Amino acid sequence: MVGAGALGNEVAKDLVLSGFKNLTIVDMDHVVGSNLNRCMFFTEEHARTRAPKADVVAQGVRALSPGAEPSAIVQRIEEMGPAIFRDHDIVMGCLDNIAARLHVNSNSYYAGRIYVDGGMDGFLGKVMVSHPPEGACLQCGMNRTHSKVASLRYSCTGKDVVFHEPRLAAEITTTSVISAVMVREALKVVSGRKDLLLANAFYYDGQRNISEEIEVSRDPNCPVHSQRV
Amino acid sequence: MKNAETGAAVEMELEGENTIDEVIESAATFWNKDMGAYVLRKGKKVLRGGSSLSDSGIRAEDVLELIPDPEGG
Repeated sequence: MVGAGALGNEVAKDLVLSGFKNLTIVDMDHVVGSNLNRCMFFTEEHARTRAPKADVVAQGVRALSPGAEPSAIVQRIEEMGPAIFRDHDIVMGCLDNIAARLHVNSNSYYAGRIYVDGGMDGFLGKVMVSHPPEGACLQCGMNRTHSKVASLRYSCTGKDVVFHEPRLAAEITTTSVISAVMVREALKVVSGRKDLLLANAFYYDGQRNISEEIEVSRDPNCPVHSQRV
Repeated sequence: MKNAETGAAVEMELEGENTIDEVIESAATFWNKDMGAYVLRKGKKVLRGGSSLSDSGIRAEDVLELIPDPEGG
């Protein structure tokens, strides 16, 4: 699981309560006060001591499920080589920026691993599954607007981030829905029902109570696919 | 063109060689959208950024919708 913010907290909780035991949590960030109202494993003490998010989520997972064996890596995913992708069966993306998503997307693809990506903005959420070598990957659904903001980080809190815009902070009910859909996809994989995986993008609009699947077709010019041999 | 966030709509005069990227940026500018990632959909399909309108099969009177692509975590 890459990213241990609002989405990462919920995904980790759902994974271990669903029976997943071996979970590696990668996040380079530390807990801050503004994380606390939407991250179930974080406390004021964690914020005061600036505890690494990955470590805190790993501790929380152990407390929830004593049989679980989480490990924490406090590091930027972009600084990690391809081995970590090969060493895992499923990659769960709980990231807050497009550059990291592209890194995880391409590495998962080349390692032949299923990548379940979640994203949120206020009441809006999206889940996409990349299932190599079939179908579209995350990058196939991106365009020039993604390139322009690729290196910016979107806040799960609205504070203590690089990218300051008048955006809604992560909203816990949206987080719950998106994390549940992501973990449901992971459960399909481990229960032998890859045939039921999301083939397109799942969009959720909590204000209008709409959820729908929107087709994202494979882009023949996508660098992820064109470089595959 | 519809704005998925507000429900607003506007007619756009476009040429077949205009790309989806160009249309997205024009619509985002028109509606003063925050900097961020957006996609354009026609019905249940996300349109590919680098493709032209004609290659994407877009015709006069088609309704396209600009939707934000949520990237927070």
